[in-house]
Amino acid sequence: MGLFKKKNELYLSDKQPLTIMGVIMLILSYIVLCTWAFAIIWPLYQMVVSAFNGLQGQYLMLNRKFEFSFRHFEYLFTETLFLKWVVNTIFIAVSTAVLVLVFVSFTGFAYSRYRFKGRKASLMAVMLIQTIPAFAGITAYFTMHSIISALVPAFSRQMMLILIYSGGGIAGNTFILKGYIDSISTELDDAAKIDGCSSMKVYRLIIMPIAKPMLAIIALWSFIGPFMDYLLPRVLLTNPEDYTLAAGLFTLINDFRTLNQPAFAAGGLLTAVPIVVMFAILQKQLVSGLAKGSVKG
Amino acid sequence: MKVRLKNIGKKYEGREEFTIRNIDLEIEDKEFCVILGPSGCGKTTLLRMIAGLNSITEGDLLFGDMRVNKVPSKDRDIAMVFQSYALYPHMTVYENMAFSLSMRKERKKIIHDRVMEAAEVLQIKDYLYSKPSDISGGQRQRVALGRAMVRKPSVFLMDEPLSNLDAKLREHMRVELVRLHKQLGTTSIYVTHDQTEAMTMASKIVLMNDGIIQQSGKPDDFYHRPNNMFVAKFIGSPTINLVKGKIIRGKFVSDDGEVSITPKANDKFALDKFEGKEVTVGIRPERFISRSDLSDTLTCVIDVVEMLGKEKILYAKTKTGQELIISTPGHYVFEDGSEHTFGFDVDALHFFDSESGRRIN
Repeated sequence: MGLFKKKNELYLSDKQPLTIMGVIMLILSYIVLCTWAFAIIWPLYQMVVSAFNGLQGQYLMLNRKFEFSFRHFEYLFTETLFLKWVVNTIFIAVSTAVLVLVFVSFTGFAYSRYRFKGRKASLMAVMLIQTIPAFAGITAYFTMHSIISALVPAFSRQMMLILIYSGGGIAGNTFILKGYIDSISTELDDAAKIDGCSSMKVYRLIIMPIAKPMLAIIALWSFIGPFMDYLLPRVLLTNPEDYTLAAGLFTLINDFRTLNQPAFAAGGLLTAVPIVVMFAILQKQLVSGLAKGSVKG
Repeated sequence: MKVRLKNIGKKYEGREEFTIRNIDLEIEDKEFCVILGPSGCGKTTLLRMIAGLNSITEGDLLFGDMRVNKVPSKDRDIAMVFQSYALYPHMTVYENMAFSLSMRKERKKIIHDRVMEAAEVLQIKDYLYSKPSDISGGQRQRVALGRAMVRKPSVFLMDEPLSNLDAKLREHMRVELVRLHKQLGTTSIYVTHDQTEAMTMASKIVLMNDGIIQQSGKPDDFYHRPNNMFVAKFIGSPTINLVKGKIIRGKFVSDDGEVSITPKANDKFALDKFEGKEVTVGIRPERFISRSDLSDTLTCVIDVVEMLGKEKILYAKTKTGQELIISTPGHYVFEDGSEHTFGFDVDALHFFDSESGRRIN
């Protein structure tokens, strides 16, 4: 017995034992963290509770009694265009993610592996343009859209939105992917070329699988973007049928005619579902460290 | 396949000077050719040009009788082993080895047979289905070799493949590579900065420096008949001793007057033209003699004794501060700070023109 007790008393941590000041600081930092966590979790908790509370009316009232019901969800699906909005958002998000992935693959690979005139200058230009918010170009977007739709009537406002999102995504993510591909040894490219790959195949068969974790992150962020953005769809899309989730749900809290705050909470809750699903799908790919062991160890 | 380089030169984009120029080289079929040189001498550039990874600025590269300057790497029928092995991390060992064949749309059965054959030779059968990250450095090295072997290329290129292995394993792989080369009989071109690797493995060495070939030939020649002072210094460990001096009345006398050597008859003839001119004499550390009946001797004080077991390396200084490295059998006794007299083996003296560095005798 004594032997076991001794084992428990062994100090196994690699850190120095805490001093009194250390203990105080530790307690303080826990207090800060807990407050922070509470500040985030409490509103979320309220949202979840309200969404399922059948006793809530048009306005959200806190501290009221709770009765479990799917009433607000029913309202959302029957009285509003919620399903349409979900479809719109997913369409925009998926198109954006696909466009960004395809283009960033090309640009990131090219910037990382090829030396050409204007390489540095164009990279800098892309970087600088990043600092201007996408919304600043709103008048230009309108003009562009009217010109293009005059030529191609099928070009909808949603497509314009997709182009705006992916345009921004391509610019920013080119840097990220270029940086990641830079860290992959060019000897792999050489080896693949000798093994009989063209440049396209080098990317598709060698670089892309190795850069998968980064591509997954880029895809995820591009996918989440349209869910989060309110301003652009609100301004660009004029027909409620075309709305994305953010723009559509907002009509439930800012327009007096359609006001229904508990339904907004319910909608907000459901918005998380596609993102969570996307996350679950990509989770396997998000594991990094795949490049380990390719070169020397 | 015979590989010929005719007046090859390379200039990189955005550089003023040619990195390498006027390279003429013939590598015979089934030869094991080692390109040796200090870092930055252009040896890797040369190999990458042969591989087709770098373009050739001028000159002709011939495989057999075909000019391959413009042929893409994949059509040159070559295989390359890289310094970092460059194994594809997302593929298993088997897939890595099968990759080049499957890119060439070989039949599955043939691919399998070839991979198994190579795995058998290299003894890597046990971990064919592991990822490169799960195996050790030496094993990765073998896989990289295997990947090159399955193609049965007509030219085998290796870019410092052993530099990432520890000393013991390197020694082992050196022998193994030579054995493999004998077994396969493929023309091999091997780049290294390690003179031991070059001396032990090559059937032909090409020593490069400053973008030009300093000497090419058999390992034996490199040690016993270096073309110039650079070659003499580069090959051999410990380094050759070089003493500057002049030829005075057919005798070599060092600048400080400490060393004077009467060359043997053959050398004397060649040295006649250099009467009164600056000449450097080179003598390998193991070619000093300690006997009592010598005419030309040199007295030095031993600074440091390095005991290597089979031999002792003496770091000695003459009265005027000329440093010498002398190698003696390990069982001889030498004390630090003691004074000794050595003679020279006149059959093993190398005379160089001090100005151009070229060999005289």
